[in-house]
Amino acid sequence: MNINPSKIFDVYQDRNRLYTINLTPKQSFFQERLIKKGSKEFREWDPRRSKLAAAILKGCHNIFIRKNDIVLYLGASHGYTPSFVSDIIGENGYIFALDLAPRTTRDLVFLCEKRKNIIPIMADANQPNLYLDKVCQADIIYQDVAQRNQAEIFLKNINLFLKPGGYALLAVKARSIDIKKKPKVIFNEVRTFLEKHTKVIDFKTLEPYQKDHAFIIIKNV
Amino acid sequence: MNMKHLFTNILGTFVFENNQLKDQILFKDLKDYLDKEKFEQKLTKKYKKVFEPKDKDLEFILAFFKDKKYFKQFYQKNLLLTKQQIKQSVQDDNLIIQTISSIKELDRLANVLIKRLREWSELYLPEFSKSIQDQEKFIELIQKKNRKQILKELKLTEETTMGKALTKTDIDEILALAKQAASTYQLRRKQEIYLEKIMKKFCPNILELCGSTIGAKLIEAAGSLKRLATFPSSTVQLLGAEKALFRHIKTGAKSPKHGYIKEHLLVQNAKEKGKAARALADKISLAARLDFFKGEFKAKQMRKELEKKIKQ
Repeated sequence: MNINPSKIFDVYQDRNRLYTINLTPKQSFFQERLIKKGSKEFREWDPRRSKLAAAILKGCHNIFIRKNDIVLYLGASHGYTPSFVSDIIGENGYIFALDLAPRTTRDLVFLCEKRKNIIPIMADANQPNLYLDKVCQADIIYQDVAQRNQAEIFLKNINLFLKPGGYALLAVKARSIDIKKKPKVIFNEVRTFLEKHTKVIDFKTLEPYQKDHAFIIIKNV
Repeated sequence: MNMKHLFTNILGTFVFENNQLKDQILFKDLKDYLDKEKFEQKLTKKYKKVFEPKDKDLEFILAFFKDKKYFKQFYQKNLLLTKQQIKQSVQDDNLIIQTISSIKELDRLANVLIKRLREWSELYLPEFSKSIQDQEKFIELIQKKNRKQILKELKLTEETTMGKALTKTDIDEILALAKQAASTYQLRRKQEIYLEKIMKKFCPNILELCGSTIGAKLIEAAGSLKRLATFPSSTVQLLGAEKALFRHIKTGAKSPKHGYIKEHLLVQNAKEKGKAARALADKISLAARLDFFKGEFKAKQMRKELEKKIKQ
């Protein structure tokens, strides 16, 4: 076992496996592997379950999430990816984790009670006005919602919550936009749509870790 | 003159003037947040002309709260609020969805158990298993009667039967499985009665129109009664036929005519199944809307209309 720092801050790598340092030692929430090495404990990050991990393995040079950042996370679901983002940002960073479904938010609340830097919010990402009073401005926006109008939701949230010069990450699920079109066509449409309003700085498809998904990073101008 | 802005969030209600905090009332607990109007009015009275922040001002205010001292409050209050919201989200349709899922699973479980029971019992009573098709009756009889009685009834003797005379300990093990299968069937029947009871209270129109099983399956597929009520009837018609529908959209294969509603007797007995499914789906979506908005009970009349239409 040879775990070394990867090119991304606070993310470690051993060949094709990604790790973060566990913020809550000895506790794993999703049956992921824990590896103890010296005084640090590493948590394995599965790219098949997390689109962010898949994007890193596909060669994103920078995911722009740093220590002590405030992250607005739309589409938190059970909290798999948020738990690793919470490892990266550390105790002094905060994640506002949004999800609409009560069933998945229930799991998320259990995670939040253990990890004090994740703040659960049950709201619809499509209606920012309804959760305006529960969040603050964010350094990073991460969105992973399986909605038809994902790109519009993304733009709405960027305009309201992203700080000037901040970065935003979007996982595009082609299947929920249109199942008739080819994924490549949809990715290009989303990209050109975003380029009209912001600056796209990175684009990666997530094969073979995630089927018909792409990852886009933009900068707020 | 400078504009004053009033902004209320989960922490409290605030007045900003010229991009500076002028006044604030902090909320002590969630109760204060839930009747925030009271506090907002207080500040509005004090400052007379206050506006809702927009664009640049809103951006400034959101940035203002990005401060270390607020995050602990954000965490505690949002956690409490989310817990409350989850609690409130549990409604009768959640119970219906869980019950119908449980019934489906019990069906599968009972099938597995009885298959094994038949295989196992055929070692000592092969002719008996073949002579009774009905599953529940088979379980009942194999527990009640012993080997000799059954052989006598089937007019078989030790010489003509294929089964081996097993010892009592071996047979007891088989009967224990039979007991388990019987209790599974019992549980299933009990849950079906319960399902009908809650549906009668929660969605009487759907229950009357298409029975408890199909109605519950439709609610399960839609996710909640609210969503079922917002669906157009063409969607209701195809709930449960997603696989065929997407195959149709993707490859141009034949489109499906019906989903779960094909189990309905009116559709099954109709000559033109597509037409009957369309008519039934139409009435179901109307009934779902009646139930969701707690309207009157109209299903009986609808059913009569439907039967007339399908007969034509």
